[in-house]
Amino acid sequence: MIKIKDFTFQYGGAEKPALHNINVEIEDGEFVLVTGPSAGGKSSLCRCLNGLIPHFYGGKVAGRVEVQGLNTLEHSTKELATRVGMIFQDPENQLVTQDVEREIAFGLENLAFPRNLIARRIEESMDTLGIAALRYRPVYELSGGEKQKVAIASVLALHPEVLILDEPTSELDPKSAEEVLSIVQRLNDELGITIILVEHRLDRVVQHVDRLIALDGGKIIVDGGTRNVLSHNYQEISAAGIGVPPIIRLAYQLKAKGITDAETPLTVKEGRMMLQEVFQKISGKSPEHDEKSTGKPVIEVEKLWHVYADGPTALRNVSLKINEGDFVAIMGRNASGKTTLVKHFNGLLLPNRGLVSVDGIDTRKTTVAELARKVGFVFQNPNDHLFADTVEEEMGFTLKNLGLEGGEVRMRTDEVLARFKLDKYRKQYPRALSGGQKQRVALASVLAIQPRILVLDEPTRGMEYHLKAELMDFLREYAAQGNTVILVTHDVETVAEYAGRVILLSEGNVVVDGDKRDVLSRALLFSPQINRLVQAFGKYGVPDDILTMAEVLQLLK
Amino acid sequence: MISFRYKNRETAIHKLNPFCKLGWVTSIFVIALIINNPIHLLLIFLATLPVVAAARVWREWTLVMKFAFFLCLAIIIINALVSSHGSHVLWRAPFRVPLIGTPVLTVEAVLFGAGMSLRLLAVLSAFAVLTFTTHPDDLMLSMIKMKLPYKSVLVTSLTTRFIPTLIDDVERISDVQRSRGLELDRGNFFQRIRNRMAIIIPLLSNSLDRTVQVAEAMESRAFGQGESRTYYHEIKLNKFDVWILLVSILPLIAGILIRWLGQGDYQYYPTLEKLSFGGLEGLMLALLVLSLCVMVPLAIIKKRIELD
Repeated sequence: MIKIKDFTFQYGGAEKPALHNINVEIEDGEFVLVTGPSAGGKSSLCRCLNGLIPHFYGGKVAGRVEVQGLNTLEHSTKELATRVGMIFQDPENQLVTQDVEREIAFGLENLAFPRNLIARRIEESMDTLGIAALRYRPVYELSGGEKQKVAIASVLALHPEVLILDEPTSELDPKSAEEVLSIVQRLNDELGITIILVEHRLDRVVQHVDRLIALDGGKIIVDGGTRNVLSHNYQEISAAGIGVPPIIRLAYQLKAKGITDAETPLTVKEGRMMLQEVFQKISGKSPEHDEKSTGKPVIEVEKLWHVYADGPTALRNVSLKINEGDFVAIMGRNASGKTTLVKHFNGLLLPNRGLVSVDGIDTRKTTVAELARKVGFVFQNPNDHLFADTVEEEMGFTLKNLGLEGGEVRMRTDEVLARFKLDKYRKQYPRALSGGQKQRVALASVLAIQPRILVLDEPTRGMEYHLKAELMDFLREYAAQGNTVILVTHDVETVAEYAGRVILLSEGNVVVDGDKRDVLSRALLFSPQINRLVQAFGKYGVPDDILTMAEVLQLLK
Repeated sequence: MISFRYKNRETAIHKLNPFCKLGWVTSIFVIALIINNPIHLLLIFLATLPVVAAARVWREWTLVMKFAFFLCLAIIIINALVSSHGSHVLWRAPFRVPLIGTPVLTVEAVLFGAGMSLRLLAVLSAFAVLTFTTHPDDLMLSMIKMKLPYKSVLVTSLTTRFIPTLIDDVERISDVQRSRGLELDRGNFFQRIRNRMAIIIPLLSNSLDRTVQVAEAMESRAFGQGESRTYYHEIKLNKFDVWILLVSILPLIAGILIRWLGQGDYQYYPTLEKLSFGGLEGLMLALLVLSLCVMVPLAIIKKRIELD
């Protein structure tokens, strides 16, 4: 059992407490979801449970934390390790040895367990996670999902009673994320391990968890049974910027309008039950397709092949055209060639065979720097972008690279800083800003050149809901101004809401290329939640290419 | 990209006990330091080749040798320019350099550089075999067995663990900055260094963040506090390994004997000494080279035995 009583913690050097007067009790075997906006105190809460606070992170402490009867202030992280296991966000940064078996042994070795026990625990935890086949594989060869499973196995080997997972899936693709979460669910269900899961994407997990705790500004704002909280505290949760799954949002809207009074659904199946009666009486027309793009082509790809030097063939005979004003989502499994394709759009990669032309210019006959005037490229992690001493210089760097000078640089900098509401940070060190602000600075540094084409490689991965909405709103507007936006993403919900056209890649081939409504509806698991919900009602005359909540509400009007 | 790291190819050399490989490398290292004679050094270098072949690490080895070649070139050039010993003058500079005097290029100095290069090649070739055929964690374990402090050994092992990650980071960050119009090779020398800061700063800052996260993860898995620790993998020396280890030290003994007999030395200055071999020295040299090469058949026999 975990007891946190009147706990307040302030990191050394911080201005205000990261956790403020926290009171929580968690029973053995509970599955608790901890959510909330970034810097709300989620990670700090995790750290105080396994003693990283205050033994690793120093600071001011008040109150007490007790885990399985041990006061964390008096017992070291090492003593707590056999009771509380912790999994972190980035799988890369928690693996310390060179191969899987040794990785799992690491914690057991530190605790000086005898060899035969270590051997047994290794077998057990590899079997539990289903990774026995990876046993002798070097860690650097594993995929993100496999790495995260190894990390879980290596913690599980210590037989903890409590398992804390701090955003374990935010660096993973949806399929690996689902695998990891279902393993966690099984650990809770079958082994009775208490799970504390930090996650800001609720749609993946709400159906599994017993209890939901939301933190904002270092305080607990909501704590209670999942279904209960999601129906009664909906407003507080969405006001804090926590992304509520579309089905639950829909249920809330329908209840508010008095259309239904059913229990808040947590799964698509429950949602279908809720809507059964409503939909049997209603039929309507499909929502209108977005207008077919008519702009002139800005990117033309003809019979493109790309083979990496010692790797597989990444692209096979890809041909497509992207037009002015298009908002295109490029989707597909991991290693399906998405990133390889878009890296051809600004010349980072050149065709092995075939042709890529941007604005009529063959990418082989120009340079990346030259193309940067036309094509802006935003990568996932803003930390890879930022290096200058001030936000202002960060803008200036891109502009000066492209040969702009003096007054022009100043003017454009002012303009872009104003547009992204970064004015007041202009003299600050960009890397010290918060996650959302860093993302904005990185985006602004690319948009300062006003590129006609904007490519974003998984910009929303691991991003919280309100920041995502902010970014996507901006992109929609940018495309509406006649610019081209190309988005590489796994996020079906975002695509359903914002994109116009979807290109689906598989094994380096274009499988489908068309309007999002045709690509995303009537698909099996690839559809957004709302579409999976309405698919079943096609027989009653409900159009089965509805993708978003707004469209359902429109239909019910 | 050909990777600069250990890959298990399951050859006899890969399966050899790390202590035996360490013994072999140490022998070569010490002999190359105490022996001066270029013929000896050349033979020692050549004696490492059968082992490279048996371990099937030619590709990696060639990369190391390419790097070594440039290093050797630098040694030869710098030594030739700086050292004014030697009596056969090839070229005399028409100017004076403060502290050094008039640079003089002599045959002896060039050959001295070449001799030193042979020494370097022999040692690097041996180390290449060791690093490309031994699992880094096994290497770490053998270091710990030799009473090196665990924490320092772990730091070394962690460094090798994160090299692939670092390479990925560099590639990613260069893509990011090039997409922002950065041209690495624009401007003069200083400008070019400045250009690289756009890659180096994010790289270093990201690595720093990473360090904290790795430390946190290790702490959460009961690392530290200096108490006792088990090692799951154990490097056991069986009887046969002990024999191989002894054989691997044989060349060292031969080398010391050669030096003890007052041979194996060679004077480049002031004029090149004549190369001559006494009967006993020739015998010792043959023994040295033979015992270096004999690792290959021994390793193969060991692999056979363990398969049975």
